[in-house]
Amino acid sequence: MEEKVLEILEEYCEEALSYEGENMMEEGVIDSFTVINIVSELEDVFDIEIDAKYVVAENFKNKEAIMDLVRRLLEEA
Amino acid sequence: MQLISSGFVILWVISFALYYLVPAKRQWIILAVASGLFYVIGTGGIPVGLLLTGAGAYACGLYLQQSLAAQAQALAECVDKEKKKTVKQGFERRRKRVQILYFVCSMGILLFTKYMVVLLPLLQKTGLLSPGADAFFSQVVMPLGISFYTLTAIGYVVDVGREQCEAQRGFLKFLLFLAYFPAITQGPFNRYAKLQGEFERPHVFAYERMFFGVQRFVWGAFKKLVIADRINLFVGNVFGGGENAAPGSIYAVAVVLYMLQLYADFSGYMDMALGVSETFDIILPENFRRPYFSKSVAEFWRRWHITLGTWFKDYVMFSFVMSAFGRKIGKNAKKRWPKMGRHVTGIIGTMLVWLLTGAWHGRTVSYLLWGLYYGIIMCVSLVLESRYGQWKQKLHIKEGKLYALFCMARTWVIVFLADVLIRSESLAQAGRIYRSLLTDFRLSEGILTVTDYGLSRYGFLLLLAACLLWLTVSIMEERGRNVRGALAACPIPVRWGCYYGVVLLLLITGIYGGSYDTAAFLYQSF
Repeated sequence: MEEKVLEILEEYCEEALSYEGENMMEEGVIDSFTVINIVSELEDVFDIEIDAKYVVAENFKNKEAIMDLVRRLLEEA
Repeated sequence: MQLISSGFVILWVISFALYYLVPAKRQWIILAVASGLFYVIGTGGIPVGLLLTGAGAYACGLYLQQSLAAQAQALAECVDKEKKKTVKQGFERRRKRVQILYFVCSMGILLFTKYMVVLLPLLQKTGLLSPGADAFFSQVVMPLGISFYTLTAIGYVVDVGREQCEAQRGFLKFLLFLAYFPAITQGPFNRYAKLQGEFERPHVFAYERMFFGVQRFVWGAFKKLVIADRINLFVGNVFGGGENAAPGSIYAVAVVLYMLQLYADFSGYMDMALGVSETFDIILPENFRRPYFSKSVAEFWRRWHITLGTWFKDYVMFSFVMSAFGRKIGKNAKKRWPKMGRHVTGIIGTMLVWLLTGAWHGRTVSYLLWGLYYGIIMCVSLVLESRYGQWKQKLHIKEGKLYALFCMARTWVIVFLADVLIRSESLAQAGRIYRSLLTDFRLSEGILTVTDYGLSRYGFLLLLAACLLWLTVSIMEERGRNVRGALAACPIPVRWGCYYGVVLLLLITGIYGGSYDTAAFLYQSF
């Protein structure tokens, strides 16, 4: 799962891979347009539905947070 | 009531004193009373619009909370996975209906009061209004801060539905969140979870905090009175010149100054609002991060009116893209155009956000065009972003200081062109200005006549000095320096020399009206 998420990030936002901080969205590393593309790709690849309530800065603060989100949604599904 | 008025200062001082005298558990009551007084004195009547919007959001929040609890209980009692799904969908559908109903009603009140000025003459012309109705609608006024508290209330309802916060059970506490007086007229837009946390924690008096709060308030007043209102003397005359067109060079100066005026005015208000709030130990979100240092338009809008941008992103863009309708569009687009299709929902969401941002800012076609302009620029730049690297390589462009300056200048030009639209008195005037900038620049005439538009040579020099001071502070902040901390660490003569210098400049060179009233804040009308 982790590898697939990293592949998606590499395709849409390479900077996210090397980002070490805690606020990727607010620091402008990842913009809303890219978030939408990543969410859409994650939904297709993992066959999950990411509701708008999950698309918050906390869940996209860095690559680990995105992986955690996918993991949680896969468990819920 | 303006933030720069004797009435406000009296209200501030009295509520500040009482705030630290009462027990910590009761401090919110002082803020609620001060907010109520600020609103009632400011509007001169009962705040019907605020109470209606507030009561609706409050009731909606309670319903959503109850529905979520009932859903959790029902799901706990279900064993079958399919049945669980059906039960959940049923609850979600009912919650969505209530949210949509609230959204329509509160936006209805906002649009009715905001667009009445435009609609009334149209209805009168067509004879659709009876004389009685005509008299009634003429008395409808736009409630103070309606654009701000309506969006804040909608955000609260969505957040409760998304389980990002728990509904507030106390109506007065909820009204305080909605109408907290430093933020009610121009924001920043507050999120319930964050602001409620601020209200709930105990606040102990600290001299340093009070001092920093007052300092920030004075700095904001300096930006407003010495810079923004001084620029207004010039800009108002240039744009109010009617058919007597000024040379293109004068318009160029006026638009650049208007860009600074808008920033000084709005960020000045924010400094005052955040400063007042800081004295109460309530930390509000920052709304500006030196936007004119931005290297792209997208970055500019991440640094300008930050809380409005995140509001639109969270509650409009993501809500649309993640909705069933948005997903359907996205899937169809991907099937049809495998490469570009993935951008379609993002493009629609961005355009939607920008058209709404335009409509939120003003009632005229100019504002819609302004929104459309930014929407198109954002979409084009975001879609092409991935190719920028290749283009830069091909053109042998290196990312150094010079390139950064070029990017900043490019951002200024884009914002400049947009601001012509919103500052012009009409679309026809905007058209004339664009034309004269290109074909009738008359630079030498502009230089000779620049002091004929309400701002003397002395006025320009003073403005330049004030802007240089502002720029110095901004550069220091941009480099990560804590200016207030650095100033506090200076020797007493230097420190107090700076404080007195700014206060004296404010008192001597600030632009005051006949009764020491100030010009209204620009964003107050949005």
